[in-house]
Amino acid sequence: MSVEAQQGIASKRIPAGLGGLLPALTLIGLFFVVPVLALLLRSVTDPAPGLQNYAALLGDGTYARVFFNTFLVAAVVTIVTVLVAFPVAWMLAIMPPALASVLFGIIILSMWTNLLTRTYAWMVLLQRTGVINRALMGAGIIDQPLPLINNLTGVTIGMVYIMLPFMILPLVGTLRAIDPMTLRAAALCGASPLAAFRRILLPLSLPGIAAGGLMVFVMSLGYFVTPALLGGTSNMMLAEMIAQMIQSLLNWGLGSAAAFILLVVTMALYALQIRLVGARRAAGGA
Amino acid sequence: MKLIFAGILAGLITTTAAKADEMVFTSWGGTTQEAQTKSWAEPFAASSGIKVLQDGPTDYGKLKAMVDAKNVTWDVVDVEMDFAIKAAKDGLLEPIDFAVVPKADLDPRFSNENAVGSFYYSFVLAWNKGAVAGEPAGWADMFDTKKFPGKRTFYKWSAPGVIEIALLADGVPADKLYPLDLDRAFKKLDTIKSDIVWWGGGAESQQLIASGEAAFGQLWNGRVFALEKDGADVGVSWNQNLTAADVLVVPKGAKNKDAAMKFLATATSPTGQAKFAEASGYAPINTKAKAEMPADVVKGLPDAHIDGQINLDMNYWAEHRDEIATRWYAWQAK
Repeated sequence: MSVEAQQGIASKRIPAGLGGLLPALTLIGLFFVVPVLALLLRSVTDPAPGLQNYAALLGDGTYARVFFNTFLVAAVVTIVTVLVAFPVAWMLAIMPPALASVLFGIIILSMWTNLLTRTYAWMVLLQRTGVINRALMGAGIIDQPLPLINNLTGVTIGMVYIMLPFMILPLVGTLRAIDPMTLRAAALCGASPLAAFRRILLPLSLPGIAAGGLMVFVMSLGYFVTPALLGGTSNMMLAEMIAQMIQSLLNWGLGSAAAFILLVVTMALYALQIRLVGARRAAGGA
Repeated sequence: MKLIFAGILAGLITTTAAKADEMVFTSWGGTTQEAQTKSWAEPFAASSGIKVLQDGPTDYGKLKAMVDAKNVTWDVVDVEMDFAIKAAKDGLLEPIDFAVVPKADLDPRFSNENAVGSFYYSFVLAWNKGAVAGEPAGWADMFDTKKFPGKRTFYKWSAPGVIEIALLADGVPADKLYPLDLDRAFKKLDTIKSDIVWWGGGAESQQLIASGEAAFGQLWNGRVFALEKDGADVGVSWNQNLTAADVLVVPKGAKNKDAAMKFLATATSPTGQAKFAEASGYAPINTKAKAEMPADVVKGLPDAHIDGQINLDMNYWAEHRDEIATRWYAWQAK
């Protein structure tokens, strides 16, 4: 592109203001806002006009249970992910850059592997006759296979594994921005390593934990494949229930209402995230 | 330059021409769809010149969306029979053109105005011989955790089968199954709920039994057939085997309806049915097909086990599909 053309674009973009956003807004309107409105409309018109779909969802014990399960799983996954990700992120932040980039490569590589493949791999590892149980029984540590699959444990293990990169990456950014001198200063002032962690490192890394944690939580809310394969029917999550309503029961009104509730909750959490950590971080900027 | 242009033009013309002679067949993927492709689509393409494109897996939500949006890209779809009856009532299906599809030899159990049989199968009781001491004799043994400890696997989705099995195991006579006593069925299922591992697809059911992850379960006979063929150490009881069927339907407004009807004629022909049954272990819905099949294959079919065989009532299920499903999923989530 010529210099002239670049300047042309630049000079047009700035004074045009909102007008320059029009293509992007049209795109969002057409492919996001319109479908969401259609979804909302269907949830109050199918099979008949009214709020009966929402009444059915909110007034029924089963659905309440599924909502509760969804939030429980998302919360447990988020907490475990933070606990596992923090030491890894800290290690990546302080290790020599060359080595760190190799480890980053490994972490990102796992994200490129097909989700279904990774979930099936966990099934093979976790089931009663799987590698882990066989090894533990072979070593004489347990007599009965541990129930690692078709329950909350299985879902948590499988989902934490998938969510880790989304937590580690923002966290490393935050941790790297912390001046190591602050920790040294703390030590010089007589703080124990634990106190330094609790009073310096943890507060300073909170924005990263909040950003990553909310992302993991929101993503977990809508997860489908992993809970369906590694969980039991008593841990059913909302996304699986919506799929049943749409695909199997062809009850699109009810499915739309459930999807809309999930969307509203997600948007509310996103708004909270913007409040807490600022719009730029929420959008993925470090 | 002219030559290139002419070449592109020729290319365009041939692709458009090909388009007119194409149709889309949608099924459940895996070994079943492979067998359908080999037994039906390939011979059909060779004899008619109509290319059959494969799509899948079958998705009832997608089917409804296509018909609602009047943009139907599937021409023939393999669906479960209770869904087909319900979908016909909802106006989602084209009527079958029996002037093109010969009806005389089709098993009347598995065909109606809007659907012709694809194949039929039985739910059978299968077990891993290494994981079970003794031989389960019937459905009641699946509910006897003292005599037969271990995990048992059942079909996860709300569909004809598990409810009936629970009722049979509880002592309901086969001819008194319908209308289904759901309270009684769920009460019976409650007694083994913590020992149930659910399977959502055929491959999963095979994996559970072959690995011994589940000691026994309710499986599609074709999947047990495939396990035996692979040399897995499985036992099978045909006692009170429960038949159900997949059927082929044409969604309302399908773009290549004429080609679809011709395809159905090939798929339900004695030869098409015989070849598919041989490849899959599922039973033919054309009564003349068995004459074209090797004797040892016929022996493994549900047809060879009609003694005590029970036909799941697809009309009952089509009628009560939604209310049973609502209760089913609520019970599972508990």
